[in-house]
Amino acid sequence: MRLEDFWHPVALSQSIEPRSSAGTRLLDQELVVWRDNSGVAHVWEDRCPHRGMKLSFGFVRGDHIACLYHGWQYNSGGRCQYIPAHPALDVPKTIKVPVYPAHERHGMIWTTLSENPATMPEHDEMVVPLRSLYLGCAFDAAVAALNSVRLAPFASQAQAETTVSGVNDTLVAVSCGQDRILAGVQAISKTRTALHLSLSGPAERYLGAGQNHFNEWALRLRHAAEHARAAYATPDQDVA
Amino acid sequence: MPAGLVLYNYELDESCYKVRLALSLLGLQWQAVAVDVFPGKEHLSPPFLALNPSGRLPILRDGDLVLHGTEAIIAHLARAHDPTCKWLPVQGSEFAEVMRWLIFAAHDLGVTIAARRHSLFGASGNEQSLRATSSLAIRIMDDHMTARGFAQEEWFAAGHPTIADIALFPAFALSRDFGIDHDEYPALRRWARRFRALPGFKTMPGIPDYH
Repeated sequence: MRLEDFWHPVALSQSIEPRSSAGTRLLDQELVVWRDNSGVAHVWEDRCPHRGMKLSFGFVRGDHIACLYHGWQYNSGGRCQYIPAHPALDVPKTIKVPVYPAHERHGMIWTTLSENPATMPEHDEMVVPLRSLYLGCAFDAAVAALNSVRLAPFASQAQAETTVSGVNDTLVAVSCGQDRILAGVQAISKTRTALHLSLSGPAERYLGAGQNHFNEWALRLRHAAEHARAAYATPDQDVA
Repeated sequence: MPAGLVLYNYELDESCYKVRLALSLLGLQWQAVAVDVFPGKEHLSPPFLALNPSGRLPILRDGDLVLHGTEAIIAHLARAHDPTCKWLPVQGSEFAEVMRWLIFAAHDLGVTIAARRHSLFGASGNEQSLRATSSLAIRIMDDHMTARGFAQEEWFAAGHPTIADIALFPAFALSRDFGIDHDEYPALRRWARRFRALPGFKTMPGIPDYH
């Protein structure tokens, strides 16, 4: 299997509020992740077919996203519905933005570039969002970084070993005692990878103090990944 | 001597924008005097050097007071013209947190101003290094707002917006001018959406009117 065939998370669910959009990249493909008024998440190619403007610079109204340049409006299927400069025009069906599948699992929005994707697992855990980390390294190195920093338990005081196990190709569980962090791995490019982190469990256990506790782990992990990289790699040029 | 508030202003300068934001969010009336910074360099002419020997905008005149230094100006506006004391809280840790982020804006975010001047106005500098340092400074802000989110807090320094948020907003909102996208700063994206919804919010060139 190639990275292109996998489902990848492209954002934490909480990071994309209703009526908002954000840009990201998956294997160098520019994507817009947006959420309509009713709360449904969408993942599209981040390019208006009119002038190539990024749709992530645009604005969401109702179940439409509109391009910032000339206001062309697209419905949730990616089809252009309305061109403000030609209000009477019956917009041709061929004006369409490529649309990717979008599913929410484990507090993350998932998509795939595959034309024949594996079925998205139905299983969805109750989670509390932690944060996303953006690392200047390849997919494999980001997965390896999850092994680099031990977890301190939060839900119980008892000391416990940190164990790291793959749930599937792009989802890794980091566990310690009763605590379990789910890390979704997004291959942004060959040299850049995001880890989207959720805490498995109910809100009353982790909101606030628990999130702070595991945020410290996440920041140490990021530091370790960047420090390791600085020690034996050339300076990262892919910072933007 | 004109009465009231006079801002010596350049529309494309993000520091002038901070002051315009503060004036507007505080609901104040002011008069703007347009200064031909690019390409005229009028801010470096003797009359302006008499007002600010450092040769930088913005400059604010408030009655007899002539003030330069962006963060000093917005702090003065809040202290002198906000009877609610919300924009510059005077009590305890909120005052300290506002000062911390004002100084961060004036010091650490200086590199974002240099990066933008390099990209837009051809000022000297190394693009790679300006961009790398700018993205690290913006990441410090995103990390802070991530942690604030765990405490259900929505603003940088207090339970409500302060001049710290005003001082920090332009560097993030204009970051695409110097090649830094918003993709990797989810906590700042949410904060910027809230900031844009404040009564009196204004855009400047480089910040979309619609979002």
